[in-house]
Amino acid sequence: MHEFSIASGLIEKLLDFAEKNPDKKLVEVRVAIGEFTQIEEEQLRFCYESIISEMPIAGSTLTIEAVLGKVACPHCSYSGPPKYWEGVISGTPIATLECPRCGKAARASEGEECAIRSVRYTQPNEITELTR
Amino acid sequence: MAQQGAVQVTLEASPDEIYDIELEHSLLEANGKLAVENRTLLDKHGITAIDFMGAIGSGKTTLITKLVEKLKDQIGVAVFNGDATTSNDADAIAAQNVPVVQIATINGCHLDANLVGKGLRKIELENLKMIFIENIGNLICPAEFPLGSKARVVVVSVTEGPWMVRKHPHMFLGAQVVVINKIDLAEAMEVSVEQLINDVHALKPDIKVIPTSCKRGAGLDEVTETLLAI
Ligand SMILES: Nc1nc2c(ncn2[C@@H]2O[C@H](COP(=O)(O)OP(=O)(O)OP(=O)(O)O)[C@@H](O)[C@H]2O)c(=O)[nH]1
Ligand SMILES: [Mg+2]
Ligand SMILES: [Zn+2]
Repeated sequence: MHEFSIASGLIEKLLDFAEKNPDKKLVEVRVAIGEFTQIEEEQLRFCYESIISEMPIAGSTLTIEAVLGKVACPHCSYSGPPKYWEGVISGTPIATLECPRCGKAARASEGEECAIRSVRYTQPNEITELTR
Repeated sequence: MAQQGAVQVTLEASPDEIYDIELEHSLLEANGKLAVENRTLLDKHGITAIDFMGAIGSGKTTLITKLVEKLKDQIGVAVFNGDATTSNDADAIAAQNVPVVQIATINGCHLDANLVGKGLRKIELENLKMIFIENIGNLICPAEFPLGSKARVVVVSVTEGPWMVRKHPHMFLGAQVVVINKIDLAEAMEVSVEQLINDVHALKPDIKVIPTSCKRGAGLDEVTETLLAI
């Protein structure tokens, strides 16, 4: 389960944020996942939720934004959406690296990322913090 | 910021008001950086590392053992073996009298660039020309974690059935060479090697596909030549 490693990396970053900003409470983290990666949304979410349950960032939600793939072809200079392989086993079309225009090998130009985009937090009133 | 001097500013915010901040940070970057470091170290010593991925039991260890047998008298070869639990694979290769590093992963899921980097610091790199890295038998995980190798080889076998390429497309997108192993069993398994080759090419037209039988020795010269030319 590489989702576990990825969730751990994500959480490490968020704990770092929480430590540097003790006055902010994390409510949501938004992560972008590219179509050319094989990162399972459900597994990532499950890992995230199980790992944080006892942490200062417990209760925060993970929002996943799927990023569509794009390819660039060195042979015919095509740049745009990939060719999809339809009707394969799983039912979901698979993004391929075959150039949709000339049929030769293209490169992925977008859709390989797995990155934090932004975090949302609340900032409880500082007075309460100080008088505690 | 929890600086006490900033009280005046934060007072204006109601307790449950929600703020957003951009926090661009790649979750694959840490591994990616270490992979680049590994690659730099390898290049400095003129070593080509090749990383073998593929399902459990597809024949990675057998193939690497055969390649080592062919190459060890010509060039310096070492093997890194990622095995979640046992040292059987590492022992089999060590019988060839080449340096073997066994890497036990924590989550038993994939090798990462950090583990490989540690391994590289454990062995004598002088005189080595090639390092074969056997990743954990797992078709899904290792694709996201480059190790710093010059090429990735996916080893599949006909015993995984006719649809294995379609079921695990991502593994192939990042590879340069695909070995379709156990072709001696193709007929018994009623699997078309031709079809598997076509499936791989549908995903990635320029990938090199080599059918082999490690058992009978078929295709092994072509694998050796291909890897030496990388
Ligand atoms: N018939 C046949 N059997 C093979 C061939 N190549 C390997 N095998 C057998 O397949 C089994 C698994 O081979 P390994 O080399 O251990 O496979 P692996 O990919 O290293 O397996 P893990 O490390 O456990 O993921 C062994 O019993 C091998 O003898 C082949 O070309 N034909
Ligand atoms: Mg093995
Ligand atoms: Zn093209």
